[in-house]
Amino acid sequence: MDDKLKREQEQENEDLRQYVTFLVGGEIYGVSVMKVQSINEMSEITQVPRARSFIKGVINLRGAVIPVIDMRKKFGLPEKEYDSFTVILIVEARERLIGMIVDSVSDVVSIPASNIQTNINYSGKLEKSSMEGVGRIDESLIILLDVESFLSNENVQEA
Amino acid sequence: MNDAALTEVFMNESKEIISNLESDIVTLEENRKDQEIINRIFRYFHTLKGSSGIVGFKTVYEFTHHLESLFDKVRSGDFDVDSDIIDILLESIDWIKSELFTDVDSDESAGKRHELTLRINRYTGKDAADSAKSENFMSEVGAYKGIGSGERFFRINAAFRDNIFFSGIDPLMIIEDLSTLGDVVHNNIQLKRIPDFFVLDPEQCYLTWEIIIRTACDEMKIRDVFLFVIDDNEIDIENVTDRYTDARQKSWGTEKKLGEILIEKGIINDNDLDELINLQGDKHFRLGDIIIQQGLASPRQVDEALQEQEKIKRKIEISTVRVESARLDNLINLLGEIVIGQASLHRLAEGMDEEESFVLNNALYGLDRVTREFQEQIMSIRMVPIGPTFEQFKRFVRDTARATNREIKLKIEGGDTELDKTVIERIGDPLKHMIRNSIDHGIEPADTRAAKGKPAYGTITLKAYHQEGSVYIDVIDDGSGIDAEKVRKKAVALGLLAADAEVSRDRVLSMIFQPGFSTADQVGDLSGRGVGMDVVKTNIEDLRGSVEIKTREGEGTLIRVKLPLTLAIIEGMLVSLGETILIVPLLSVIETIQVKQQDYRTVEGRGEVILVRGEYISLIRLDRLFGIEANCKEPWEGLIVIVESEGERLGIMIDDLIGQQQIVIKSIDTFITSSRSISGATILGDGKVALIIDIHGLVQEIKKY
Repeated sequence: MDDKLKREQEQENEDLRQYVTFLVGGEIYGVSVMKVQSINEMSEITQVPRARSFIKGVINLRGAVIPVIDMRKKFGLPEKEYDSFTVILIVEARERLIGMIVDSVSDVVSIPASNIQTNINYSGKLEKSSMEGVGRIDESLIILLDVESFLSNENVQEA
Repeated sequence: MNDAALTEVFMNESKEIISNLESDIVTLEENRKDQEIINRIFRYFHTLKGSSGIVGFKTVYEFTHHLESLFDKVRSGDFDVDSDIIDILLESIDWIKSELFTDVDSDESAGKRHELTLRINRYTGKDAADSAKSENFMSEVGAYKGIGSGERFFRINAAFRDNIFFSGIDPLMIIEDLSTLGDVVHNNIQLKRIPDFFVLDPEQCYLTWEIIIRTACDEMKIRDVFLFVIDDNEIDIENVTDRYTDARQKSWGTEKKLGEILIEKGIINDNDLDELINLQGDKHFRLGDIIIQQGLASPRQVDEALQEQEKIKRKIEISTVRVESARLDNLINLLGEIVIGQASLHRLAEGMDEEESFVLNNALYGLDRVTREFQEQIMSIRMVPIGPTFEQFKRFVRDTARATNREIKLKIEGGDTELDKTVIERIGDPLKHMIRNSIDHGIEPADTRAAKGKPAYGTITLKAYHQEGSVYIDVIDDGSGIDAEKVRKKAVALGLLAADAEVSRDRVLSMIFQPGFSTADQVGDLSGRGVGMDVVKTNIEDLRGSVEIKTREGEGTLIRVKLPLTLAIIEGMLVSLGETILIVPLLSVIETIQVKQQDYRTVEGRGEVILVRGEYISLIRLDRLFGIEANCKEPWEGLIVIVESEGERLGIMIDDLIGQQQIVIKSIDTFITSSRSISGATILGDGKVALIIDIHGLVQEIKKY
């Protein structure tokens, strides 16, 4: 009993960070809750001519026209038919709203800062600067995305 | 208001004042005796001094103080305005500008200030050491000693704005000045406006003064004391000499106004009022109470009169409101939402059976009318006259003309023509460039002009006017015009035109809008570097405007800029290509036609064309260009929208025409697409996003491929 209380207190004292986790191609990713504005179901996307390859198009978000990015395309994964689990995660980056199409949203998790590893040697498709780090919860690893740099101009233009 | 906000208000205000000053000073140079302008300049300097003092720009404060003193002397006729003074003034303004709006090297800036101060003091006869002394200027202005004949009495009711202190004026100073003019025989301070202690704002002025002064000065002198406050405060000055010499009055409080109102309304008459005043006597009864007591008027009538009194007082206070333009933008965005909502209601009505939809349509019709009016009203708030923008070129023309040894007059027409604020903000630079071009390439030196039989001074005319839902701005000069042959040669040399190409004169002239184009033989300081007109054109096109040029060799040049009235809402035509709905701005649409198969052909070097009334028009296939699926594969299967851009006609293939409606433009992030063919997006009645085609950009893009 004492032990449990102690552990809880310890956890409370520690810097906990909250992430919205989602799935893209079987992998779990996380985005800081502070960056997530809303989670919307798939809506009709208007294609934009000569748009950058990973930009799926634009949607109407409560009267504003915002771009949506297909995360599968962004990560170089094969496209998949949208289903009832597909959602658009609206995130705020560089003072603008951007939609991210993901396979599904799983949870909101709290990860203690000590469980987040930031110095990773990662040689995936993702730019290292786009990653905040890798978080660990129990046995699973979550790739934490840094939306700011992930959607920054340089990265957008590169792609 | 915190410091930062205050500074921002000051900066905005100063910008306005400085731009007004520049234009006034240049006008003064032409009309050196114009007392009205002199007074105005004096007032601008005074305001600038006051507000820079408040926000803590000490150097500007001290410096403007000198300018103010200088102008006070000019005002009182101590010396005339000469070109030296004009130079001092303009240089001083440049100094103030750089001091306020740019990061300046403090040593250099201080040096310039010192030099200017010395030059100013040569006129005012003060030495530079005097500069730190911040004297009470009011005593300077107001130190008239009684010279007039006979004694006069003035009743002054002074109710200052609540925020008078923010403009750097202390009412007490004014009253002290007043007292130097004569004896204050009565001074009644109204405490009524002082609020409860807990809501009292120590930075506000709550007091109202009623002063009766006995003086030998005339009314003008009294008014002069209030020179800076009389316009935006409630200052009521009345000559009451006869009343006092009658000796029939003792105290004449604000109640008198109530009496006046009641007399105006015919409720009481003059005799009644006199009687009432007697009754009032020394007792501190309020007139209203006495009137009711005496049964001369009902309490309601008195109340009404009091309310009217209050209304008159307030009228001046609420006549204008300064609003952040972001708030207006919000309103326009919200209005956009309403327009979209309305469109979806219309869609609903379409889906209903006739009887049901009739009622809804009727209701919608009314709503449409209101929203249209609402839109016009909101848009009109954003509309500002172009006059001030034009005025600010006076200085520019003067300086440029001097630098190039030319004599040039700037004529302004249609300064009250109103344009969207955003357009005004962004049209300044292109206009400046065009004027610069006119001076540099257009207007000839005086001797050349004389030889041609033209007046020695050149004239540049800026003219703004409304026509067919657009605003036109003409920049006209009576210079040498543009040599079309020279342009042609240059265009050929630059490879913009084939040497043997047969093109119209207009087309040749439009070459000057090409990047890197300049016909000036020598590269001047001002223009002729080959950057310019293409930038002008791009800037104007960004505002969804267009520019054309007309010129007559030896006689002059006209550059005509056409601009939309507003940037937020346009009339659009909805067209469909397969599943996709696109919007074509109605302004670019000439007509929509069906073509026969025999009118379609391919022409070497031009691609696909259609023959419309004897003219070949290039075809654009949006489906291929945009990578979308269209139902009609051949031009004769669907419809062709004929659009025009820069005098060129093009035919856009579409499947079908859906309709025409007001389109609220929503911008889309530039990082989404590199295509210039899309100017923005809008939200349709069903919530879908539709893209708006930028005809001009489309033409540009097609030329690239």
